Amino acid sequence: MHYINIIITMASLSEEVLLVVKRVRQRKQDGTLYLMAERIAWGPEGKDRFTVSHLYADIRCQKISPDGKAKIQLQLVLHTGESTTFHFSNESTALKDRDVAKELLQQLLPKFKKKANKELEEKNRMLQEDPVLFQLYKDLVVSQVISAEEFWANRLSLNSVEHSLSNNNKQEVGISAAFLADIRPQTDGCNGLRYNLTTDIIESIFRTYPTVKQKYAENVPHNMTEKEFWTRFFQSHYFHRDRINTGLQDIFSECAKEDEKGLKSMVTQGVKNPMVDLLSLEDKTLDEGYGTATVPTTSNSSNKSLRENSNSAIIKRFNHHSAMVLAAGLRKAEAPSDQASETSSTDGNSRDSDLFQPPLKKVKLQEAIEYDDLQGDSVRKTISLNLKKSDRYSHGPIPLQSQHYSTSQDIINSISIIQHEMRSYKPRLTQVMSSSAASSAITALSPGGVLMQGGGQQTINQLVPTDVQSELKHLYTAAGELLRHFWSCFPVSTPFLEEKVVKMKSNLEKFQMTKLRPFQEKIQRQYLSTNLTGHLEEMLQAAYNKFQAWQTRRMMRKT
Amino acid sequence: MKLNIDGLLVYFPYDYIYPEQYSYMLELKRTLDAKGHGVLEMPSGTGKTISLLSLIVAYQKAYPLEVTKLVYCSRTVPEIEKVVEELRKLMDYYTKQTEAKNDFLALALSSRKNLCIHPEVSALRFGKEVDGKCHSLTASYIRAQHHSNPSQPVCQFYEEFDAVGRQVPIPPGIYNLDDLKDFGRRKGWCPYFLARYAILHANIVVYSYHYLLDPKIADLVSKELAKKSVVVFDEAHNIDNVCIDSMSVNITRRTLDRCQTNVETLQNTISRIKETDAAKLREEYSRLVEGLKEANVARETDMYLSNPVLPDEILQEAVPGSIRTAEHFVGFMKRFLEYLKARLRIHHVVQESAPQFLKDIYEKVCIDRKPLRFCAERLRSLLRTLEIADIADFSAITLISHFATLVSTYSKGFTIIIEPFEDRTPTIANPVLHFSCMDPSIAIKPVFGRFQSVIITSGTLSPLDIYPRILDFRPVTVASFTMTLARTCLCPLIVGRGNDQVAMTSKFETREDFAVIRNYGNLLLEMSAIVPDGIVAFFTSYIYMENIVASWYEQGILENIQRNKLIFIETQDAAETSMALEKYQEACENGRGAILLSVARGKVSEGIDFVHHYGRAVIMFGVPYVYTQSRILKARLEYLRDQFQIRENDFLTFDAMRHAAQCVGRAIRGKTDYGLMIFADKRYARADKRGKLPRWIQEHLTDGSLNLTIDETVQLGKHFLRQMAQPFRQEDQLGLSLLTLEQLQSEDMLQKIAQIAQQA
Repeated sequence: MHYINIIITMASLSEEVLLVVKRVRQRKQDGTLYLMAERIAWGPEGKDRFTVSHLYADIRCQKISPDGKAKIQLQLVLHTGESTTFHFSNESTALKDRDVAKELLQQLLPKFKKKANKELEEKNRMLQEDPVLFQLYKDLVVSQVISAEEFWANRLSLNSVEHSLSNNNKQEVGISAAFLADIRPQTDGCNGLRYNLTTDIIESIFRTYPTVKQKYAENVPHNMTEKEFWTRFFQSHYFHRDRINTGLQDIFSECAKEDEKGLKSMVTQGVKNPMVDLLSLEDKTLDEGYGTATVPTTSNSSNKSLRENSNSAIIKRFNHHSAMVLAAGLRKAEAPSDQASETSSTDGNSRDSDLFQPPLKKVKLQEAIEYDDLQGDSVRKTISLNLKKSDRYSHGPIPLQSQHYSTSQDIINSISIIQHEMRSYKPRLTQVMSSSAASSAITALSPGGVLMQGGGQQTINQLVPTDVQSELKHLYTAAGELLRHFWSCFPVSTPFLEEKVVKMKSNLEKFQMTKLRPFQEKIQRQYLSTNLTGHLEEMLQAAYNKFQAWQTRRMMRKT
Repeated sequence: MKLNIDGLLVYFPYDYIYPEQYSYMLELKRTLDAKGHGVLEMPSGTGKTISLLSLIVAYQKAYPLEVTKLVYCSRTVPEIEKVVEELRKLMDYYTKQTEAKNDFLALALSSRKNLCIHPEVSALRFGKEVDGKCHSLTASYIRAQHHSNPSQPVCQFYEEFDAVGRQVPIPPGIYNLDDLKDFGRRKGWCPYFLARYAILHANIVVYSYHYLLDPKIADLVSKELAKKSVVVFDEAHNIDNVCIDSMSVNITRRTLDRCQTNVETLQNTISRIKETDAAKLREEYSRLVEGLKEANVARETDMYLSNPVLPDEILQEAVPGSIRTAEHFVGFMKRFLEYLKARLRIHHVVQESAPQFLKDIYEKVCIDRKPLRFCAERLRSLLRTLEIADIADFSAITLISHFATLVSTYSKGFTIIIEPFEDRTPTIANPVLHFSCMDPSIAIKPVFGRFQSVIITSGTLSPLDIYPRILDFRPVTVASFTMTLARTCLCPLIVGRGNDQVAMTSKFETREDFAVIRNYGNLLLEMSAIVPDGIVAFFTSYIYMENIVASWYEQGILENIQRNKLIFIETQDAAETSMALEKYQEACENGRGAILLSVARGKVSEGIDFVHHYGRAVIMFGVPYVYTQSRILKARLEYLRDQFQIRENDFLTFDAMRHAAQCVGRAIRGKTDYGLMIFADKRYARADKRGKLPRWIQEHLTDGSLNLTIDETVQLGKHFLRQMAQPFRQEDQLGLSLLTLEQLQSEDMLQKIAQIAQQA
């Protein structure tokens, strides 16, 4: 994009120089290559300034000449498509020099790349996704009504507000369900086991099992070292859940109990989706004792073998583990939005307890009986409009002045009154209008008549050729955009805004001159009604008035 | 669209129709015309319910005198509610098309637990508690007491309903469980009793099997349903087990202990009442002498469970003298109880028939057959006379009395097995007396006899001829419908070997084999890597699953699977499993993907659907044979062989295959759905097994997919999933598996449709 060849004298150089490579040729000129913290630069031999300087952020990629080629080169390709080639000409160390430079660049570039690219990509994406915006961009930036920066300055921030949730805290990386499997113990050869723990795994353990985190916070480092903590963790029955015997001094037995409790509370909470609630599946309230199925043996767990007990412990553990992993992934996402998940975070339940049981049931039932292929296409699934205040939507923004609303009851009443009147309407034939007056009234009320002017707008798409229409649309969006910029400056509280408002005003004028006028002339030439642009002009005029008012007030304050 | 089914105008509430739906309706119409019974198999997800409802409702409208009522029986509460919602859709369509006001009354009926709106009672968690509490607020003597003593709490909803609810008929409309509750709340009436009352004049009733098949309940609820009703059993592949369950009783030592307490309570109550209100007992006695079977006029609220035997078996005579007085009856029960205790004190397994049992009891404690038959009735009468508030406490003695009545009523079709311990734990004494029904036709016989048309339908009824045999009825139509598909959206594969060529099977001899378990593990691991979203795996039994999971855990297979998907496992605790199930769906929903390990014949396999991404593959580990060492099963097999000439192996295979089909069928819930069906056992490749799969699965089993290794399965699976993941639009289906009205009316399409139904 806008990269600049900054020319800085060597003397004023206060940047950190990471690497200096001598005897590098560029455009057949010997010189020195400098790799600095934020840019790469090259200066010709004997001169104290850079003739080539690229910010790392501007570089798309680097290319090197293949091994075995006579010339040992490194090429930088910029986002703009331009490229710069450096030729390492020190015979003995050329290859080494190049590789050192390449390695360093390899480390440096990705850091900058992300930042630059993201912005660019974002802009690109927005333009591609939004044809209106693209048109606007063409109208305003390409025709140089406003600069690209100005255009984006407002856009991007606006965008980031909209997407603040998704963009700012980008999607949380979930936890691998198998993170415990990654800590595969290795025998260290002398009758011991070695576990490899990485910070990722520890993080996963903490996120999945908050109780362990709590224990960690309680015990490390006052009671034991970190190493000791993890040793105990791996030795504990908590980790080897299938082993039934448990040491008395095990600090994790409490965790196990906590988990048990969490699992229990999850179970007692029941499920939200009635379609998977196995408890209410059967419609039978008979006692045990009827039927051929033998009485469930769960009641007498004492006569279960140790092995069976450990087996069911494994199963429980897997269910719990999966639930916790699932919840850990969802917990973060929900955390800022509702406080309710606070309480649920310990039991691995990621949902908030809401009272929307019946609607959910209805929805699930409807889903279950739906055959979308049998249905005609008439039923398209639509996204429902989520309105905070539906009355504002239906009435639109209204001035604060007290206004008399007619309720729907009023309307119904009045209609019925009118209907009633119409039913009992009797023409008084003695008092009729003169025929000429009647016919003039009819003309006035017919389409095109004096009284039907207001309705004439509807026929604009028939009166005006399509190209003019689309041009008008573009003008509207462009003007809207400019006006938005303009109005967003108010109230003018900072010097920056002052400056901007002045600029925006001139932009508006420029727009009126370069875009609106030619269009008006064009439609005049085509003998179309000129009031097509009347509203546009009104809008501009309103902005000018506002500007005028603001300026005079400012003048008065100054004097 | 409006269809012409064999001269009947049928409103069908969709713009398109599947060819098999049309064919299904044709067969159904024929059955109704013949006033006979039918067995119809149609794959799940082809809109069976709506076809049934559309046709029968149209029939009812066209011939209101021929068919007065539709009784639709389904298995689970969500299914009942689904049926009502589909019906609502149909009725909405009717109103829209005909612009006539809907005059149909359709409602769902469920237990008190699902219908109660009393603030305290409905808060109780278990159905039994709700029933008991409801009884203690609505029983007739409680209400009588309330008259003299207003502080005695009663249920205001029932009072309100009793006062006015019966005079005003419930307005026509479609009432689901929630609608009934809403209506009840609005009017202040008890929805449960309202629904029970309203089913008598409703056009359509939707409820659970038990209300028709279990004599204890059917006698209370469904006694007065009109004979000209059409009865539909949906999801009926397990209907024989429901029948058997409804007539069987198990007695453990715990039951007997609780029964002992019940008897003591009764004794104390009797002696107390004798002092204060002896007239009451005398009155009961004299009524019994007069030959009134029941001492009091029973009100609907007083009945908790009716007589366990079928209506035509109930004796229409006076209660014999030996158990007429309250004390004598309690004494009689005591003796019977002592006898049962003695029988449970054995150390070896005993199996005997009902007559043998009766002979023994006569020899040992001189109890006659006749008083035993009256046991249930007599106990009910006594409980009512004694004004026992919480009837749920007396469940043990009720159970014993039911056993007494059943064992003395039926001499055939039942067996008594007393086992001193469980087979798995021979050292721990846990004696159980199984009084087991072996003949499903006993319970369902009155249904076939009473109603003019009974339709048995499900996605898996293969082989079709076996149901008429084991249920002992003559159907007029027996048909199986295939699923017409524009793309083969199901992919059944039989995996017989691991990559090491070791045969994979859950056969008893090799199921604990290390190599088999490892190969099963590898199969799941490989599938977890290629299948998107959800995988459901079924094991043959819970114990087998526990063992396999444990050894997979030891071998580290599960850890590797966890790298790909989260693992959830069904447990024996229903609440825990529900939680796991919901988490499983959540994991499928958010894209993480998950595996659910579950058990064939378990609650999940019977009641939960895994539509679309909730189940992209089902793996059936092994052939889900029932536990063949069970004595009850052996007795039943013997009975089937002797009475119905069904060979043991045929029945076992049939039973295993219907469960396997149920399991794998869980994943395909429609034509837009798709999923792999993996049968992981080499025995599936045999003709006798394969041949018992439903036709709509069988026809997609090619010879090339019969004995695959894991690698081959993965290859085929990958290919299939990739193909299926391509966009599938309505246009692709149109004309093949989805028809417009015009397409339906074309001559060659009608010919094609005629081939869809395969008559058995």
